[in-house]
Amino acid sequence: MDLLNYPQPLADLISSLARLPGIGPKTAGRLAFYLLQEPETAEALAQSVLKAKEKIKSCSICSNFTDQDPCAFCRSERRDRKLLCIVEHPRDVAALEKTGEFKGLYHVLQGVLSPLEGIGPEQLTVQQLLQRLEGVEEVIMAMNPTVEGEATAMYLARLLKPLGVKVTRIAHGLPVGGDLEYADEVTIARALEGRRNL
Amino acid sequence: MAVYQADALVIRSREYGESDRLLTLFARESGKLQAVAKGVRKPTSRQRAGAQLFTYADFLLHRGRTLDTVTQASPRESFPHLWNDLDRTLAATAIAELLDAATVREEPQPHLFTLTLTCFFMLAEVHPFLVQSLFALRLLEILGYSPRLEECAECGALIQGERVFFSPEAGGTVCSSCRGTLSGRTLSQGTLAFMRRLAQAEWAKVKRLRWPVWMEQEVRRALQQYCEEKFEHNLRSWRMGNEIGGEGINNQREG
Ligand SMILES: [Zn+2]
Ligand SMILES: [Zn+2]
Repeated sequence: MDLLNYPQPLADLISSLARLPGIGPKTAGRLAFYLLQEPETAEALAQSVLKAKEKIKSCSICSNFTDQDPCAFCRSERRDRKLLCIVEHPRDVAALEKTGEFKGLYHVLQGVLSPLEGIGPEQLTVQQLLQRLEGVEEVIMAMNPTVEGEATAMYLARLLKPLGVKVTRIAHGLPVGGDLEYADEVTIARALEGRRNL
Repeated sequence: MAVYQADALVIRSREYGESDRLLTLFARESGKLQAVAKGVRKPTSRQRAGAQLFTYADFLLHRGRTLDTVTQASPRESFPHLWNDLDRTLAATAIAELLDAATVREEPQPHLFTLTLTCFFMLAEVHPFLVQSLFALRLLEILGYSPRLEECAECGALIQGERVFFSPEAGGTVCSSCRGTLSGRTLSQGTLAFMRRLAQAEWAKVKRLRWPVWMEQEVRRALQQYCEEKFEHNLRSWRMGNEIGGEGINNQREG
């Protein structure tokens, strides 16, 4: 698509949309035209994008997205504080919550160890994790089943085990290399049941 | 030729777009290649297993205008031992990064392919950091960059003394009269002797080599510095291996 054929504001809109994951230039063009024809939808969308950007932050305890700090999980009286589930990204918390199987708390690492990409423990929320272990009896590693996910789980197990915490890894049901967010609820529930000691 | 076949190792696998991975492959015949594996982060993808880091697979690739894409990946070997031990993962990562740094795309390097494949298999039973150092020494030899480990790289004199200066910019060991302002580090004669044995040992005998922890660290750091100088590349995974690797392996090793 040649953006030179469009007025500047429209061209800008198309190129912003095309930067979103999974949206190619063609789809971006279609969406832009749709938004211009539906001014109310466009207005509501613009408002909610700005509002979300303004209100949503990282929880100072678990690093999950939240509009209040600490987040609803970390504040809740009904969650089991002896269980802590470690995930890569906030979207994985949502995937695990959908199952309704897990009653503990979460910790979002904000990524995984990736020596080739220069991502070490300092780039992740490892220090925050070490500071919140009081009263925690079991830490469940729910990183994606990739080489980096496994390496991160092993690294954290090395750090946590000497502190007397039980460390487990979700195992069954999740196919090798698949992202947690794409798994269905049944698969994730089974994976939680089948966690193993690290 | 729009579609081509490659018998290759995945030496790098990065998240790409929403559910794709951008792979760096090292093929037996054609050397280093880059290709996109589409949709492989979804659990339903059939190409998923072949797109994982360190996998050895038969690939069918489609040549694209900007990037090639994987149309089929049938794994031959997935090296589970590289997934279940942190030091093995770190050593395999260090091997993959050095191979990537030392090669250019689409230049056939069949000896390097065989070396890498052999080292990935060896990681199942040989100490990970021994395999990593061995890989570096053999790779340097194949590419004609072997460091001097006995005589002076500048004047050729045989070097005496317990501690010897090792200078990557000079090409290895240098004597005290040639040292001048060269950068480098001192290594013990024992470390140098061990590196010479490692560089020449028969594959079957490598398993029996033993080294103390301090020597292992000296060797890894010297090789890291040497390779970084030769290939003008920061070896991030070698540095990270020095920081987070190494625990819980002493039981496999006797003095
Ligand atoms: Zn929180
Ligand atoms: Zn000299």
